[in-house]
Amino acid sequence: MTYGEMARRSGSALKAAGMTAVSMAAYGLTSIAARAQEASASAAPAAATSEAAGSYTPMAPTPGVGMPVDGRIGFQQQFSPTGHYALAMHDKLLMPVITIISILVLLLLVWVVYRFRAGKNPIASKNSHNTLLEVVWTLVPVLILVGISVPSISLLSKQYKPAPENALTVKVTGNQWYWTYGYPDNGGFEVISNMLNIPGQPEINAGIREAGSKPYDGPAHLEVDNRLVLPAGEPIRLQTMGADVIHSFAVPALWFKLDAVPGRINEKVLFIEKPGVYYGQCSELCGARHGYMPIAVEALPRDKFNAWVLTHAGGVIDHQPKPAAAPAAAAPAATASEAPAADASAPAPSASTAPGA
Amino acid sequence: MAHDHAHDHADGHDHAHDHDHKPAFFARWFMSTNHKDIGTLYLIFAIVAGIIGGGVSGIMRYELAEPGIQYLGWWASFLGESNPSFDQTLHLWNVLITAHGLIMVFFMVMPAMIGGFGNWFVPLMIGAPDMAFPRMNNISFWLTVAGFCSLMMSAFVPGGTGQGAGIGWTAYAPLSTYGSQGPAVDFAIFSLHLAGAGSIMGAINFITTIFNMRAPGMTLHKMPLFVWSVLVTAFLLLLALPVLAAAITMLITDRNFHTTFFDPAGGGDPILFQHLFWFFGHPEVYIMILPGFGMISQIVSTFSKKPVFGYLGMAYAMVAIGVVGFVVWAHHMYTTGLSVNTKMYFTLATMVIAVPTGIKIFSWIATMWGGSISFKSPMVWAMGFIFLFTVGGVTGVVLANGGIDDNLQDTYYVVAHFHYVLSLGAVTSLFAGFYYWFPKMSGRWHSEFLSYVHFAIFFVGVNLIFFPMHFLGLQGMPRRYPDPGPFFEHFNEMATLGYKITAFSMLIFFVNIIYALIAGKKAEGNYWGEGADTLEWTLSSPPPFHQFETLPIIEDAAHH
Amino acid sequence: MSPKRKTALIATALALFMLALGWASVPLYRWFCQTTGFGGTTMRATAEQAAAVKPVARTISVRFDANVDSNLPWKFAPEQVTQTAQLGARTMAVFRAKNTSDHAISGTASYNVSPDEVGKYFTKIQCFCFTKQTLQAGQEVRMPVIYYVDPAILLDEEAKAVKQITLSYVFHEDRTSSEKLGAKGLDRAATAR
Repeated sequence: MTYGEMARRSGSALKAAGMTAVSMAAYGLTSIAARAQEASASAAPAAATSEAAGSYTPMAPTPGVGMPVDGRIGFQQQFSPTGHYALAMHDKLLMPVITIISILVLLLLVWVVYRFRAGKNPIASKNSHNTLLEVVWTLVPVLILVGISVPSISLLSKQYKPAPENALTVKVTGNQWYWTYGYPDNGGFEVISNMLNIPGQPEINAGIREAGSKPYDGPAHLEVDNRLVLPAGEPIRLQTMGADVIHSFAVPALWFKLDAVPGRINEKVLFIEKPGVYYGQCSELCGARHGYMPIAVEALPRDKFNAWVLTHAGGVIDHQPKPAAAPAAAAPAATASEAPAADASAPAPSASTAPGA
Repeated sequence: MAHDHAHDHADGHDHAHDHDHKPAFFARWFMSTNHKDIGTLYLIFAIVAGIIGGGVSGIMRYELAEPGIQYLGWWASFLGESNPSFDQTLHLWNVLITAHGLIMVFFMVMPAMIGGFGNWFVPLMIGAPDMAFPRMNNISFWLTVAGFCSLMMSAFVPGGTGQGAGIGWTAYAPLSTYGSQGPAVDFAIFSLHLAGAGSIMGAINFITTIFNMRAPGMTLHKMPLFVWSVLVTAFLLLLALPVLAAAITMLITDRNFHTTFFDPAGGGDPILFQHLFWFFGHPEVYIMILPGFGMISQIVSTFSKKPVFGYLGMAYAMVAIGVVGFVVWAHHMYTTGLSVNTKMYFTLATMVIAVPTGIKIFSWIATMWGGSISFKSPMVWAMGFIFLFTVGGVTGVVLANGGIDDNLQDTYYVVAHFHYVLSLGAVTSLFAGFYYWFPKMSGRWHSEFLSYVHFAIFFVGVNLIFFPMHFLGLQGMPRRYPDPGPFFEHFNEMATLGYKITAFSMLIFFVNIIYALIAGKKAEGNYWGEGADTLEWTLSSPPPFHQFETLPIIEDAAHH
Repeated sequence: MSPKRKTALIATALALFMLALGWASVPLYRWFCQTTGFGGTTMRATAEQAAAVKPVARTISVRFDANVDSNLPWKFAPEQVTQTAQLGARTMAVFRAKNTSDHAISGTASYNVSPDEVGKYFTKIQCFCFTKQTLQAGQEVRMPVIYYVDPAILLDEEAKAVKQITLSYVFHEDRTSSEKLGAKGLDRAATAR
């Protein structure tokens, strides 16, 4: 029986089936345990081996890191400074507070049921006012909320700290139904990123291979043909825009989500602490294949990132003096014009670089 | 009101006569101007819409139970697309999520809460013979029905990548404008126009009734809390729905008449639609829950045999929730690229709502405190409501934080949150109200035993559906995905099991109604006895076709 | 008038007022954005107004981003990816647009700056985005934009932390031949600050 198997697979999580409050308490404990386990296991992901400039092999993701894990009940392990802060705020402040409030209400209800049932308390009091009590249960929540708002506001200002001037800028464009990643600081080449087809499911992207056909492929549903490759350990100015409708660029392990809105640019700083592969999924309803345009971010050490850049025609290392032969005008490719026509059924192009440069 | 007195029957005389005064079947039910009949029509309509909306969620839950696409293709053919392509199949998913949202919000919860219980009990509780504008009341109902038909029709016409409107209940531009070609979206938007017009008329009717037709001596501060809740709700409807009407009319003109309100190509801004939608949308969620608050207050007070604790605080907490509800809308838009100051403001403003909500929760418990509580089925449902709504409320405090929401926006955590406050909150309060008033409305008793069984199974079922969704959301499962991947399988399976349990509990509910209508024993006027002291309990069950032809006088001693 | 009717009329008026407000939100939102720079809306100034602004010693980096709507067969790119601008000084950036189709097409550009906070200080004096642009078949043109960054940015807690401003454009096909689109746009004449 499937549910029997389920129970064996994840005993602790099954508590959710029973008492909600108990489960909320269990949540805090098990998620911390799970995270400790992850932390020891995460360490070094299998990195690309090639050292030579201009060559690149995609990195194999570490199973269970940078991606959701079946049956787990907390946030994904975080790989950005704001992610750590937000996670700590959620696990150490918000979860205890909301668990205690829920349990308090539950206990009060249980006590009232026991103490004031008609059998035990046949005569009802007619008391319907108590000013002190009313002031207390107005002021105490106010104080709790003030306590929550302090780290909350601080988290927001951390998330909105502007990028330094020379931060690498990467342009993310959401299309129906794939992502394009532009690198204006690296010669303006563009990467088109389609989901790999899912084995056993109807083909989503014609001409694209199936997930699992290469040794470095991550999970089907999440893996793409060309990942968004970024340097780890430095702030990145990530800019998003929608080419047709609104999409949302989201990577849970980096605590990052930003809508890609047509006609206007959005920007936010992304900082990835460690090399690795981090997956996300489009998070704003964008039409039929909304569920089939995942995001795969591959963070590399700076030198490997530079080597990856040089594998692209016209690729240059950012913030280097430009060779005289390369006129600046030729650099940035107009992103949207390389996109396919609006025909919904047309397969998305699979070329890894745009010919723009 | 003067002409009501013209009839001037003696009070006891009513009974003998009113059976003769009922119009014939067609005139009674299709041209009804009687608030109780219209209330009944609304309740029946809401139940029908609830079955359809719940059935839609059943298709979704079965599809989500395991990775891959299993059932959508079959349903797409069933709905009239021969040999659907994979895109058409996926489009059906978006149609289902849209339909489920719109049906449950506009055609199930709102009609049941405001149209059903509001129509039935607001006039009874304030001692009025009927609503202020009985014919407008009838128009409101039939506009809602017409709206529902328009929404149903949208499923059978082209809507872009497939049949039906696949735009989400939020209908964000530009997916709902140039992103979805075909008449389906126009039908869906038009259905909101119709339902919205009906609701605005209903709101005007309630406000006029409550302000002008209270029995002598019933001041605003003596009104039962359910009437207060409907009054606040009516104001929210009156102020919020016209904004939605304007926004979706702009969608229609953007779609059909080359305007560019939300199209950047013509200088418009898609984000403006979101501002307008959520300026309506956030008050809308309070529209769905406030009448539930009112019902819970009546029920808790009745079965504790105590007046509501902190009556004024309770009434003005609802007013406060309504007012603050208008200035927090952008917390639905944290990831659209708001500036940091905007986000900070909306984070703080949103958290403020927890305060009046907390006042309500604690006041209900304080009402029970010192009471002599009898655990009749409505009370059991009400206590379930208080706990489930608390759980839904506290996750709202988590989501209020703009920085935390960056990870949770548009994930199943949000789905879990709003189903806890609506599906487990509003719907639980609807059942509490139903069991509380069903004998009053029908004159026959439901089975209390079946009501307890219904509660127990429903409670287990809905928690099993929605509690695991918190975990899915924390792990990052996005909303509106037909096939989010095998890494979300475990809790999705569990949620689908919960759906089956909940569906079974609904079967018990229907058996209970049928049993009551066929074999239920007759209910007396005040069948809950001591504690049930609002005006509807002074009448027979069911109340006479025309009540209060001699207006009741509320004396000072009579309590709210 | 009966009290019932009076209440109903007031309620109806309230609903109609909200309906009107819903429609009025379109110009109100535009006005709000143009006044506060909300959503990265840029400001607009005449040459005289710009001349009255005193340049200061500080500089800021400006990045240029160019996009084309997918149904417009144009190529459109900035000639410079980034540029250093002295605060308060008129600065020119040039974009290059080419019509790759075989017929004349008109386009208008939508635009904003990011981060949002700097919209209030990014002031354009001259821009190809102020009017609709028509390119003949195969024609390539250089399109200048003249702007300055208001030194008042240094007084703004949030905005002064910004190290680089991105000015982004999207060219859309102009689907209306009327003049009304030429006059639209989110700029405004800057008022003296």
